[in-house]
Amino acid sequence: MSTVERVARAPRAALEFANILLTQNDAEVGVSPKDVVWTHRKTTLYRYRSDRRRHAIPVLLVFALINRPDIFDLRPGNSFVEYLLNEGFDVFLIDWGYPEEEDADMGIEEYVCDELHWGIREVLRASGQDELTLLGWCIGGTLCLLYGGSHPENPVRNMALLTTPVDTRGSLYGNWVGRDSFDVDQVAEGYKAIPGQAIDWANKMMKPVTNYWTTYRRLWEGVMAGEARRAAYQPMARWVADNPPFPAAAYRDWITWMYKENRLVQGRMRLRGNRVDLKRVRQSLLVVTAGADHIAPPEGTRPLLGLVGSEDVTTFDRPGGHIGLMAGSKARKEIWPDIVQWLEGRSQTTTRGKRNGSRDT
Amino acid sequence: MAEDRLPSPTDQVKRLYEDSEQRTARAFEALVGRDSFGELLAQTTENVIAMVKIGSDAFDLVLRNLRLAGRQDITRLARQLARNEDKLELVLQEIERLQERLDELPGTASRGSTRSGSPNGRGDEQPRSSRSRSRGGGS
Repeated sequence: MSTVERVARAPRAALEFANILLTQNDAEVGVSPKDVVWTHRKTTLYRYRSDRRRHAIPVLLVFALINRPDIFDLRPGNSFVEYLLNEGFDVFLIDWGYPEEEDADMGIEEYVCDELHWGIREVLRASGQDELTLLGWCIGGTLCLLYGGSHPENPVRNMALLTTPVDTRGSLYGNWVGRDSFDVDQVAEGYKAIPGQAIDWANKMMKPVTNYWTTYRRLWEGVMAGEARRAAYQPMARWVADNPPFPAAAYRDWITWMYKENRLVQGRMRLRGNRVDLKRVRQSLLVVTAGADHIAPPEGTRPLLGLVGSEDVTTFDRPGGHIGLMAGSKARKEIWPDIVQWLEGRSQTTTRGKRNGSRDT
Repeated sequence: MAEDRLPSPTDQVKRLYEDSEQRTARAFEALVGRDSFGELLAQTTENVIAMVKIGSDAFDLVLRNLRLAGRQDITRLARQLARNEDKLELVLQEIERLQERLDELPGTASRGSTRSGSPNGRGDEQPRSSRSRSRGGGS
């Protein structure tokens, strides 16, 4: 494109660029049909509709307490949920909702010992199965680990953990919030629900130029070249900007236990008086790390491999970022098939089999 | 042929710009990784939280003096609702547990079950969305 052409195209490109940014909230995310199975407070358990279920063991998707679980079902054609459904899985998702100030008392214990525990129970009731697969992403993965480590008798057959923080030593977050001068109690007292925008700002500040400038510069170049992928950009941009508040108690627990005291890897984590012993995690375990993950770097996840009691452990260490690995345009070809293949061999009924009268939706 | 391999001036400028952007990005990432930035962030957070709390408390005080419900009052009500829901959930779970135990007793399945259909009470149970412990429906 010549310089003259560039100048001539700039006004139109500016309009399109602005339009893409201004209408990003109109993008549809998380649109796969689903039914509400159970709710409690702000938590909702969904079951995705499917007529292709052929694997007995249901999959429960657990996302982080920051951002929305819609990333599992980003957009038609690029949805992990859609992919799992097409591969014949019975897919459930636990959505933590939008906590508000009245949920300030919701700590990590409440999320693991109540919401997740009860959600699992409801998955089993709805599916008619005795076992399930937990698939956790980011903090969601840590919640799954905490559940497995604190509930010795649990119905989890398989556990898949995607870019999950375990050992926070030396991490950038640790440097920010793990220091003594960061008063997490004051934050939790001041805000009963930590604004999602504040969490998002911190996430973006880890790579400030990339997040605040390069993303938009690349979009501009795409628009100028007539190659802007609006359908791909807008859902992701909308998801990134959708930040539910973080309940104060959960925030305090998370920062204190994981970043200030690094309790999980030291075996000092306790939930309602019960020690979280990762040796109790004996399920088939899949650990997925992303080489360029700056939020949960691989070196912060790998220590898990020496802590769990599982004998069947698989690791996928792939290039990509914290979110891009699973939700990027290459995920459908590069990581989802491997995860599905891992799940397929571990999702058949065993001796206990399927309960009578499961409900299909 | 040699000319074909030479990048155009525009491409050269673009490459230079991208290189400088990458260097800037790395420099900023190094900056935010420094202890001094962490310290700055901690103190700034503390100050912002303190100011927000002072502002919020003062505004709530004004509202209360006007005999209007402030944010704290509404939050208190909402918290009571949440606690009631917690208790209700526990009661429902206890009922379901007792129901299951009752269903396991021989000859009591059809009599004891509130859900018609299968002996264990699971077969034709209504979707949760239509029962009292769920809100909303399919989406």
